[in-house]
Amino acid sequence: MSQSYNRGLIEDFGRWKEFSAGMWAWIFHKFTGWMLIGYLFTHIAVLSSALTGPEAYTNTIQGLESLFIVRVLEVGLLAVAVFHILNGLRLLMVDLGVGLDAQDKSFYASLVLTAIITIASVPTFMDGVTL
Amino acid sequence: MSTQQQEPEQPESQEAPEDPEMRGAESPVDEREKAGGDIDQTTADRSELEGETILIKVFRYDPEVADKQEPRFDEFHVPFEKGMTVLDAVMYARDNYDSSLTFRHSCRQAVCGSDAFFVNGKQRLGCKTQMADLEHPVRIEPLPHQEVVKDLVVDMDHFYDQMHTVEPYFQSEDTPDASDLEEQRQSRENREKVKMSTRCIWCGACMSSCNIAAGDNEYLGPAAINKAYRFAMDDREDADIKEHRLRILEQEHGVWRCQTQFSCTEVCPKDIPLTEHIQELKREAVKKNLKFW
Amino acid sequence: MAERYSSFAPGGTAWLLQRITAAFLVIVLAFHFFLLHFVNHAADVTFAGTQARMENVGYFLTMVLFLIAGTFHGVNGVYNALVNQGLKGTQKKVVLAVLVIASVALIAQGIYVAIAMAGW
Repeated sequence: MSQSYNRGLIEDFGRWKEFSAGMWAWIFHKFTGWMLIGYLFTHIAVLSSALTGPEAYTNTIQGLESLFIVRVLEVGLLAVAVFHILNGLRLLMVDLGVGLDAQDKSFYASLVLTAIITIASVPTFMDGVTL
Repeated sequence: MSTQQQEPEQPESQEAPEDPEMRGAESPVDEREKAGGDIDQTTADRSELEGETILIKVFRYDPEVADKQEPRFDEFHVPFEKGMTVLDAVMYARDNYDSSLTFRHSCRQAVCGSDAFFVNGKQRLGCKTQMADLEHPVRIEPLPHQEVVKDLVVDMDHFYDQMHTVEPYFQSEDTPDASDLEEQRQSRENREKVKMSTRCIWCGACMSSCNIAAGDNEYLGPAAINKAYRFAMDDREDADIKEHRLRILEQEHGVWRCQTQFSCTEVCPKDIPLTEHIQELKREAVKKNLKFW
Repeated sequence: MAERYSSFAPGGTAWLLQRITAAFLVIVLAFHFFLLHFVNHAADVTFAGTQARMENVGYFLTMVLFLIAGTFHGVNGVYNALVNQGLKGTQKKVVLAVLVIASVALIAQGIYVAIAMAGW
């Protein structure tokens, strides 16, 4: 074997149409996971305004909450968290060896439930803020 | 073989595939279809292809041929026949159009595990995949995430290395005394437990489909872990050998790397529940360690 | 078989801890969202309100545990994602060190903030 050809990562996103349920679940879980850990660092940074004083804390939070874009991002965060929770439950079941035959259905179910919960929460999240 | 243009057992395939004149050859099939009104839907769908040619796009690469050093896809028009598999199609292309088209195959009945290809974006066994079940044109590539040696032939060394890492053979300290027992018997229940895992034909489809194995070269991969499962779950092996097997599996690049994407389980041509086996071994390893604490 | 005989399997321990923190986080994250977006509207959060919650020792401890579990789960997840992509050698050690330092800093800062919120 004098020479061979390395095709590299062939199953990259270019082939997304060929991905199956389990693969999508993994991609979404990783993606939402990265967002959540990123948010955790931001969250602690924002809450650190409490170290400056009670007014600084209250003003920071209420100032952010008065912004429309922050509310939209919060709805996004809810969607991300809910999906990560529901798919996480699915993965815990998979780890326990329960319902492996229905792993694709449980992924679709977590997507649908995420959508329902997110949409149902929009009025609460958007309460009292305008563009 | 390549000079022999005509295959005696398939008269319809002699025609030049693209020749519109010869499309008349379809009519006897159509008539047969009309006559047999009782044929079920799937047969009817499949026989629509009868007498037609199917376009296959085959990955070509050959480091020793100047115009194939840069990989490319070659197109072949293969006359369809009922029951034609992907392997049949590439064999037809090789025998009739290009004798240099290279791929591995041997038994043609899903036992030897030589002809796993990447067909229409999925790892499949060439001899077990019906052309009629695929979307056309059919794209045939070598297994992803393995080095291509030539055309559809990939380097399997790494796959075999991982298989051998898990010591894929029966080990037992005390074989029964030959005088009172000639066989080393296994209970029916235990046989059922390992049954699916014994079906592995080392085709490498699972390993190729696993995107963790693609990223982490040290990961044992689904086939090797399944092989380890086959022996670790075999009651006839002693507890300390099982312990030894779990030690191999519980390394950082062992079972823990599995992300339960189910890719391997979906492509396995022998329907082995690979993910299930890997998960069970994870739990076994955790249980074993909890016992020590 | 008599090679290195240790009952400590790093891969397995991290895997199990990832699952245990997952089970804990599912409940507490859902609770956290519910409490601070539905029961108490996020826009109405004031320092006084936060302090009233944080003064409760049970709530305080839950939140600290929430932070520790969340940090471990998230950072371990990031580390695993990188190992899955084939990270190894010196790079891997550097990444692990950076992640551990970031985690410790995050947890320390978080607890410091929580103590300030509780007014202790």
